[in-house]
Amino acid sequence: MREKVARPDEVRRWPGDFPVAHRYTPGLAGDAFLTALRDRGAILGSRCERCAYTYVPARLFCERCFAELDAGVELGPEGTLVSFTIGFVGLEGEPLDRPVTLGLVRLDGADAVLLHHVLDPGDEPLEIGERVAVVLRAPEERTGSILDILGFALAEAESRLSEA
Amino acid sequence: MSGTRVAVVGAGMTRFMRRAQETGKELAWEAARAALDSCELTLADVDAVCLTSAPDAFDGVHMKGEYLSDGAGGFGKPFIRTYVGGGSGVFTAIQGWYTVASGMFDVALLVAEEKMSSTQPHPQGAFLTIFDNILERPLGPNLLWIFALEMNRYMSAYGLDKRDIASVAVKNKRNAAGHPAALLGQADITVDDVLASEVLAWPVQRLDVSPISDGAVAVVVASEEAAKRITDRPVWIEGVGWNLDTTYWTNRDLVYPEYVENAARMAYDMAGVKEPRRQIHVAEPYDPFDYKELHHLEGLLLFEKGKAPEAARDGVLDREGDLPSCPSGGLLGVGNPIAAAGLMKIAELFWQLRGEAGARQVPGTPERGVAQAWGDLMQVGTVVVMGNDGGPPKTAAGLPVVQTPPYTAGGHPLSDGGFRSALGAVDHRLGARYSWDAGVAVGRFLDGLRAGKILGRECRRCERVLVPPRMFCERCFRETDGWIEVEHTGTVQTYSICHVSWDMQPLDPPEMPAVISIDGSDGGFLHMLGEVDPDGVRIGMDVEAVWKPVGERAGSILDIDHFRPRRQS
Repeated sequence: MREKVARPDEVRRWPGDFPVAHRYTPGLAGDAFLTALRDRGAILGSRCERCAYTYVPARLFCERCFAELDAGVELGPEGTLVSFTIGFVGLEGEPLDRPVTLGLVRLDGADAVLLHHVLDPGDEPLEIGERVAVVLRAPEERTGSILDILGFALAEAESRLSEA
Repeated sequence: MSGTRVAVVGAGMTRFMRRAQETGKELAWEAARAALDSCELTLADVDAVCLTSAPDAFDGVHMKGEYLSDGAGGFGKPFIRTYVGGGSGVFTAIQGWYTVASGMFDVALLVAEEKMSSTQPHPQGAFLTIFDNILERPLGPNLLWIFALEMNRYMSAYGLDKRDIASVAVKNKRNAAGHPAALLGQADITVDDVLASEVLAWPVQRLDVSPISDGAVAVVVASEEAAKRITDRPVWIEGVGWNLDTTYWTNRDLVYPEYVENAARMAYDMAGVKEPRRQIHVAEPYDPFDYKELHHLEGLLLFEKGKAPEAARDGVLDREGDLPSCPSGGLLGVGNPIAAAGLMKIAELFWQLRGEAGARQVPGTPERGVAQAWGDLMQVGTVVVMGNDGGPPKTAAGLPVVQTPPYTAGGHPLSDGGFRSALGAVDHRLGARYSWDAGVAVGRFLDGLRAGKILGRECRRCERVLVPPRMFCERCFRETDGWIEVEHTGTVQTYSICHVSWDMQPLDPPEMPAVISIDGSDGGFLHMLGEVDPDGVRIGMDVEAVWKPVGERAGSILDIDHFRPRRQS
């Protein structure tokens, strides 16, 4: 039944694609979260009192008990670095000019963690458990995007930045 | 049938919308919450969750099952997504049945979600890869083709009047006018409106087709013991059936959905239904296109072959008719968020058999209903028979018990302008590219085309010559026996005159896709007609292949340029 492929260049192939693009809208809770981020620089979460759990970003419902939630809790701006990774290669495996650091941060007041960039940690090695603070884009540059947050900086560095 | 009896005890749905402001997760939660509220359960009462959603490409989320799991109530629970294309919604009720009938779980939450509005420029882009990548995609197919080809064949085989078929669209859009979740309810639509709507791919016109939609539906099922604890009006899942036809759709007759009959017989046998036309009192067949409802009613053995259209014409299928069909308004009226639309049919039977369907309630005391959906490459049939043990409950005075209207969740429609300007919207192009291997059988077939030959494979046990060829026979599951050169001629089994491209742009002149039965074989394939005026094409017309010049052939289905009417030789 199997036929030996004597001339691989003769193997019949047909090139094609999957011609779809998508436009994702943030939904009810996402809209509240991004509006507050753009307009007030606030990071909103949702607290489920029954489950004693605070989600971030804000959510419409509690996945544990199905209660309806509102975006009623403001979190941060400081938090604790729960984990991080440093990426040295891009999507296609190409080396990056500047490594990218991504962190999971538990903002003060939250139970869930937020994924975002860790900004230029410098020569000091990062450590899990370090205190970090949110760095926002300037108000006039915000568009209502998760990128209105530039990332997290070490809390000490952030306070030095602010003082300067 | 082994296992506990299983009942539907609650149902809920969102509105079906052209475009929802909610994310898919939020839609799923709104429907799931509504279903649990309807039977006064909480998520803690749910032992297992069954989810369905059609292709990931609609929502644009790879592994959509996992993405939707929180909104479906899957957190920390046994959870799985199933998927059989358009048949998914009804299949989830089958999945729910075996999840509970197995004895493993007492209460299962079934959720179906679809958010088709995310797909740009048109959800059809996600459908293109259901066609054979080597033999059909190069022809530039459009999903409408397969419906138009099937509808034309159905109409031609029985000499049907398009007016009778269009009366199904009218009935369903009128029925939907009484549905609080409906997208396209229209109390005053007429057959003439349908026949005057834009021709997309003849014989399919705009109003023959259900609209793409966003929405979610959820249903709660329970074991007999749990059901009796939860409600005094359980609606039992009496029978389930599912069946798949060959994936070689151009080898099928297309006149009659045998796979639906097979699934229906399985469900009827389980339910003890011996005379479906007498024992089924309300039907929710799958109606993405008007002719499909009729096709499916025949497959469900509720009408003789070719006889459902006259039943539609004569009002038999109306809500007040002898066999109400799609009293919900169906996909044509309520909307078609694919998987959700299927589960909506289960929810509708639940409401109808409890006497809770409000303005949509069918008269009398319906005792048993059948829901059906269809999908994959128009090859899967999923069927569920539901019953209420002898009619909706009555008070001692013989009146219906207190009727609570079905709980319908909100859902927030999003306008075109709101969609374009939505805060925080993110655009993304999938950008996936492929190089598909022809494989052994089709590779040789393409070599044959380059040499000006059409090759098939013979199955001596089934006495079939297979075109397109395959190295195994899908019926007897043996290796096929050898290569056979077949004729360059054939007959038009069915055709369409298609006026729109896959992304719904106008085509002028129109394209003429056809299924060609190849002489000397038991099969055929999809190709294009040419050198003929659209008005001159007929089913059964003799045609011949027109080849590209030898130097231009590349080992492709396009080495045949087109088929034209056969010239006398």
